[in-house]
Amino acid sequence: MLAGIRTLLSRIGLTLRPGSEDDDFERELRAHVQLMSDDLVRRGVAPDEAMRDARIRLGGVTQLRESHRERARLSWVGSFVQDARYAARTLARSRGFSAVAILTLAIGIGATTAIFSVVYAVVLKPLPYPRPEQLFNVFQVQEAQQNTGTGWSYPNFADLRDRNHVFSGVAGSQHHQLTLTGWGDPIAVNTSVVTAEFFTVFEGTPITGRIFSTRDGEPGAPGVVILSEALWRGPFAADPNIIGRAIDLDHRSFTVVGIMPEQFRFPLMRESRQLWIPLRQDPLFGAWTERRGGHWLQVTGRLRPGVTPAQAQADLDAMAARAQREFPAENAGWTARMLPLQRMIVFDVRSALLVLLAAVCVVLLIGCANIANLLLTRATTRSREMAVRAALGASRWRLARQMFTETVVLGALGGAAGLAIAYLGVGALSSLVPPNVPRVHDIRIDPAVLSFAVALSAAATLAFGVAPSLFASNVDLQTRLREDGRSGESAGRRRARNALAAAEVALALVLLTAGGLVLRSFAKLTSVNPGFDAEHLLKAEISLPRFEYSTPEQWRGFTRDLLNRLHAEPGLQNTAVTIPAPIADGAINLSFEIMGTPAPSANASRAANYVSITPEYFTVMGIPLVAGRAFDAHDAADSTPVCVISEALARMYFPDRTPIGQRLRFGFPPGPDVTREIIGVAGDVHDVLLEKPPGAMMYVPFWQAPFPGAVLVVRTTLDPGAVVATIRRDVAAMNPNLPVTDVGLMPDLITASLAQPRFRAFLMSVFGIMALGLATIGIFGVISYSVSRRTHEIGVRVALGASRGQIFRMVLGETAMLTAAGFALGVPFAMFATRLVGHLLFGVSDHDPLTLVAVAFTLAAAAALAGYLPARRAMRVLPMVALRHE
Amino acid sequence: MHRGKLDILQGTLDLMVLQILDTMGPMHGYGLARRLEQVSEDALQINHGTIYASLLRLIQRGWIAGAWGTSENGRKAKFYSLTSSGRKQLRAEADKWERMSAVVGRVLRTAGRG
Repeated sequence: MLAGIRTLLSRIGLTLRPGSEDDDFERELRAHVQLMSDDLVRRGVAPDEAMRDARIRLGGVTQLRESHRERARLSWVGSFVQDARYAARTLARSRGFSAVAILTLAIGIGATTAIFSVVYAVVLKPLPYPRPEQLFNVFQVQEAQQNTGTGWSYPNFADLRDRNHVFSGVAGSQHHQLTLTGWGDPIAVNTSVVTAEFFTVFEGTPITGRIFSTRDGEPGAPGVVILSEALWRGPFAADPNIIGRAIDLDHRSFTVVGIMPEQFRFPLMRESRQLWIPLRQDPLFGAWTERRGGHWLQVTGRLRPGVTPAQAQADLDAMAARAQREFPAENAGWTARMLPLQRMIVFDVRSALLVLLAAVCVVLLIGCANIANLLLTRATTRSREMAVRAALGASRWRLARQMFTETVVLGALGGAAGLAIAYLGVGALSSLVPPNVPRVHDIRIDPAVLSFAVALSAAATLAFGVAPSLFASNVDLQTRLREDGRSGESAGRRRARNALAAAEVALALVLLTAGGLVLRSFAKLTSVNPGFDAEHLLKAEISLPRFEYSTPEQWRGFTRDLLNRLHAEPGLQNTAVTIPAPIADGAINLSFEIMGTPAPSANASRAANYVSITPEYFTVMGIPLVAGRAFDAHDAADSTPVCVISEALARMYFPDRTPIGQRLRFGFPPGPDVTREIIGVAGDVHDVLLEKPPGAMMYVPFWQAPFPGAVLVVRTTLDPGAVVATIRRDVAAMNPNLPVTDVGLMPDLITASLAQPRFRAFLMSVFGIMALGLATIGIFGVISYSVSRRTHEIGVRVALGASRGQIFRMVLGETAMLTAAGFALGVPFAMFATRLVGHLLFGVSDHDPLTLVAVAFTLAAAAALAGYLPARRAMRVLPMVALRHE
Repeated sequence: MHRGKLDILQGTLDLMVLQILDTMGPMHGYGLARRLEQVSEDALQINHGTIYASLLRLIQRGWIAGAWGTSENGRKAKFYSLTSSGRKQLRAEADKWERMSAVVGRVLRTAGRG
């Protein structure tokens, strides 16, 4: 064993240091001859003769040297190194070919690796919590109303927590912002409002301090807060004595009890400056813990070891049935479901990312087909070299191995260059990925991504290398050597090359169709009229600390005072308050009743998005009033409760009568039993997302339904910076501790809301262009090679009277055949691909005829261009030159 | 093939090289070749080159080691000596060889008589 290893080591040593051992052996042989001739001379032989005799006795020195060398080395390593060196020399000699092949491969591998790094970080990588596979998102659904994936109310959550038999723990969470004061300028800080079990369920361990205890979740417990490491290092300057200190959130004192490390994130977003407080202590959600109606608490459960998801679902069903019996008013029709937390977190982006990964893989495949074609072409031109080698005794296997070594060298170089491109690509991509995609902070080239790149390079090498190697080594000696320099080509090889080019066309067709649809869908999205005039519209937000401003009177007073100040500023007359603002903020969805009209069924309730506005709102936003009147100064706190509904709501619930004068009742605010008279109908607005159709909306006067804060919308042609400065000054004059947050121009906010569709459209366009370019190059390569092979034949045809037009048509016809074959091959796959991207589309059918025609036309035009140049060359072939050729 | 001279098996040559190095101490390649011819009273006809193949095999197995030195008449030459594992190997091989040649001899004698 040991001896074996030593042999191997000594052999490898020799293999890695070629030359030195050879010299040593050479000297030793010389010494041998010298010693022997010395001996012979001593015995009386003449010196010359002695030298000669000694050499003869030693035997064939060259042979000896060879066999020594052979034995001293690992023969396969030797021949691999030999092949690799030869391959490197060959590749270096044909620089153009190598550059094209390596570049194609590098771009393909680089792009695929970069996209994979995003897919891996966002979708595949296990969540950064211990035993993440046990974590499930538990949510409520009301199937009759198509209410899917909503949260829980606190009492329902508490029942789930106390009654279940399948979770080792469940935790609830919500997210919003609180105002941190007392540490420099007031800032709005991301806050996760969590139940006391939260850190136990996620098994988070603080850097220092403690996690929340059950006591922190009880009513009346003193305020406590846990900081994220980033927040601690930021505003708190990594204060080592922070534990036990009190900080002010919304003007209430919270004692810092722990700091969570940077790796612990929840939610898993790029921004990691945040803090956690117990739910009951939150100024907003804390007040909701007693209400059983409502669906706002996101719940995560950790399955007990050994419990299957099916068992857990059965337990959830039993609990839901009991909850429906006990509290039918709130729970009628509601059941509970669960999904792995990982799936839930990336729910929206998962399929989009997988589509992108598939798309970039298609680009890589087309690239591989191109390289395979180049290799086939080279193999043909080198067939004489191969024939000579075979004639000199190289086995077919040996030839194939040598050819394959060339592709391995090519693959390795391409892979290495691809990795470099991936590094650059990942940098670019992670800044391009929309910020609302979870886990983007984790996008990087890590060992998993690196292994993927290596495996990808190996797979690509196999993909483009095997066929050419086998074809190249399949040498028919007789014909090759007899051909006297003219290297004809076997039909099989020609077919292989044509098939590859057709496959490229097919793949490009698939990718262009999918990409075209995504792009057209994005174009449709950007041209959607949001229902209001976004130009020159600016938005800013002020939220009032609820401990300081606790009554509706205070909220009204603050907003009235602020609006009066702003309206007095020059250029800011067009200012209104709304909560929430369309697109920029989320929607508040509330159920309502129509007085005098019974609900359609016991399990269903009507719902609409609820907006509280000041009377100027419709004018400032440019939302038309379709019927009735808008709010005015008379709709005050103590006058008749009124509301304005959207056209969609009117269409949905008052299809055959005028809604004006009808009365609605909401469960919120200010009291649950307020009925409101409909006084007007306003135009539809895309209030959530441009891609979502305008939903039913209802507007109520802010003075009748105030919130602790205000979202300002200002229509102004003044410089936005100056406007914001004015707003900040006026706010500070009222209360120096109030931050003005979420400032933005409405057009920018709309653009930002399209970040994900834009990301998809951009990447799909890039991949589509790459695919188109590669396929065009592929067709061009095949056709122009075919023309150069057939120069002789074309010459004969011309000599026999073929016109130039005929030759031109013949070559273009070949191109058309190839393209048509590609189309025939590609259409079924393209149909399949359109179904894959179907759910990403907006306003475009997945077999949108315009897109399909445009794609087919583009591809055909590219193919025609690729065929045109060789066709022109063929047309100019001179018969005499061609016939003398070769 | 020279009449009256013996051809030798590869493994046998390795064994003889080990044996010579064991009894004579470090030697160079030519010395080994000469010694082989002397002890066999020139019955063994070897191509001196084959010695080197044998030496390389033994080095790769770690049974001998080579180092450059000076010959008795002042020439540079590479000297080979037995390593401890080589010595062990020689013991084992020699034992085996003796048992084997005893058996072969017996068989040949029996066959001759019959």
